[in-house]
Amino acid sequence: MIKVKNLTKVYGDRKAIDNLSFEIAKGEVVGFLGPNGAGKSTTMKIITGFMAPTSGEAMIGGEDVFENPVAVKKKIGYLPEAPPLYPEMKVKDYLKFVAELKSVPADKIKEYIDYALSATQLNEVAHRRIENLSKGFRQRVGIAQALVSQPEVLILDEPTVGLDPNQVAEIRSLINSLKGKHTIIFSTHILSEVQATCERYIIINEGKIISHKSLVSEAGASQKVIKTLCFNESGMNGLVAKLNSLKFVNSVKVNGKELIISFEGESSHIAELSKVIATSEAGLVSFSIEQDSLEDVFIKLTSKKESKDGGNQ
Amino acid sequence: MRAIKAIAWKDFKTIVFSPTFFIIAFLCSAIWGSNFMRAVIQFAYQSSNPMQLGGGNLNLHYNLFVSLVSFVNIIFIFAIPAITMKLISEEKKQKSYDLLLTSPITSTDIAVGKFVAGFGVSLLLIGITLFYPMLLSFFAKFSWTVLLVAYAGLVLVTALYVALGLLASSITQSSVLSVILGIVFNLILWLMAQAAMSAKGSAAVEFFEYISVPNQLYAFLKGTMSVGGLVFFLSVIIFFVFLTQRMIEATRWR
Repeated sequence: MIKVKNLTKVYGDRKAIDNLSFEIAKGEVVGFLGPNGAGKSTTMKIITGFMAPTSGEAMIGGEDVFENPVAVKKKIGYLPEAPPLYPEMKVKDYLKFVAELKSVPADKIKEYIDYALSATQLNEVAHRRIENLSKGFRQRVGIAQALVSQPEVLILDEPTVGLDPNQVAEIRSLINSLKGKHTIIFSTHILSEVQATCERYIIINEGKIISHKSLVSEAGASQKVIKTLCFNESGMNGLVAKLNSLKFVNSVKVNGKELIISFEGESSHIAELSKVIATSEAGLVSFSIEQDSLEDVFIKLTSKKESKDGGNQ
Repeated sequence: MRAIKAIAWKDFKTIVFSPTFFIIAFLCSAIWGSNFMRAVIQFAYQSSNPMQLGGGNLNLHYNLFVSLVSFVNIIFIFAIPAITMKLISEEKKQKSYDLLLTSPITSTDIAVGKFVAGFGVSLLLIGITLFYPMLLSFFAKFSWTVLLVAYAGLVLVTALYVALGLLASSITQSSVLSVILGIVFNLILWLMAQAAMSAKGSAAVEFFEYISVPNQLYAFLKGTMSVGGLVFFLSVIIFFVFLTQRMIEATRWR
């Protein structure tokens, strides 16, 4: 649905994004992560046709964003970093204006506005001027304007910034309800949101993609790490040899009495490993499954000076 | 078409319900009102003085309305940029420009829609000035047709100021700079007439006289509507709206 190929944007002598390529299938929800200044907003601005790339192409629904801008933009609902609001307008009038701009059929406008208002819980403020609303409500109006034309593709730049935890949870459930019917890409710094709603995430740093991973574990394919503390060192060598002989074990690191075992994680494998260690000469004191949280992955990848090459992991 | 209507109506409402517009309309009315009073008193005095007339009556249109409408035009050189200043510069400042540029509408829709909004507001102001001839119609007879031709000229030159004000607004994010630029553009247009005086050669003089806005406006004020004059105004208006469209389009390609 969204296809980006070799996208580059250069400002003077600075490359904001450098040869970016990725694809998002129809109905997918993808999280777009990266430190500040990484190029997330720039990428989103190019995909939505707000700004032109220096080179490369962006396609939505098979159509080039810059060859057929009007046709492509009909399919997009976009929430920029700063919600594009008119302070002097009332919420409902504003949504009506956006619906007109997005060519919503005249007979469907009321229905679509009601949908956008109820999806973002704005019914009680529908007749208030936007300048009189709090930041959280304004952010919700921004999300409502992205939804009002019921677009196939939703591109949201930090949709939950400024929202209280209840509202964040509501937006999360809204995104979950839109899954499958709409293609969604959203950028955020709140990694737990990505874990809660996204099927995939893309991490971008210094204009390049440094990680592109699925969050949905395919059956038995995700790698896990177990940290185990043994009772005595004497049986260590034998134990390590036995562990290495197991098919699903990838590597074993020894650190005195501590073992760090990397393996293909299925629950039956975990049971077998604990049995092997417990019945060995080394004995078993403690056994814990280590899983890199998304935050660890993010910090690990983005705090390095040299960025990794883009590619699937 | 739908986008143009939506943008025009939204911007028209925004300007008309803003305090800035109330202040401008009030100031304009106050200035025109006092000028009208002074001009009518002077006209009445001149009409009653047989020595000045040298036989025959003073023509109400030539001696009063032309100066009144000219005065409205001079005020508009400054008032119209103040009305159009926020049309595009405010959008850029409050980040709502992103909405327009990422909607399925063309830069032409944006430029034309905003021009129509500005023009609509200026028609409201022109409507205020119609009060004076309407008031006079109770006391004196004059040709409404000739007056309407004069007003047609006023409408055209006002549309030109709106187009220039819109262009000024598209250049900058600051409303203040937008007003200043708009006034400067309007004044340049007026001062180009000076070039006619220093031009050499009959062809050059004719050319400069044709493109001189004061000359073209004065033809309308006198009551003569010519195709050449209409074509001139319409071409220049379309040209500046086109330049605005180019400025909007350029934002996408930066």
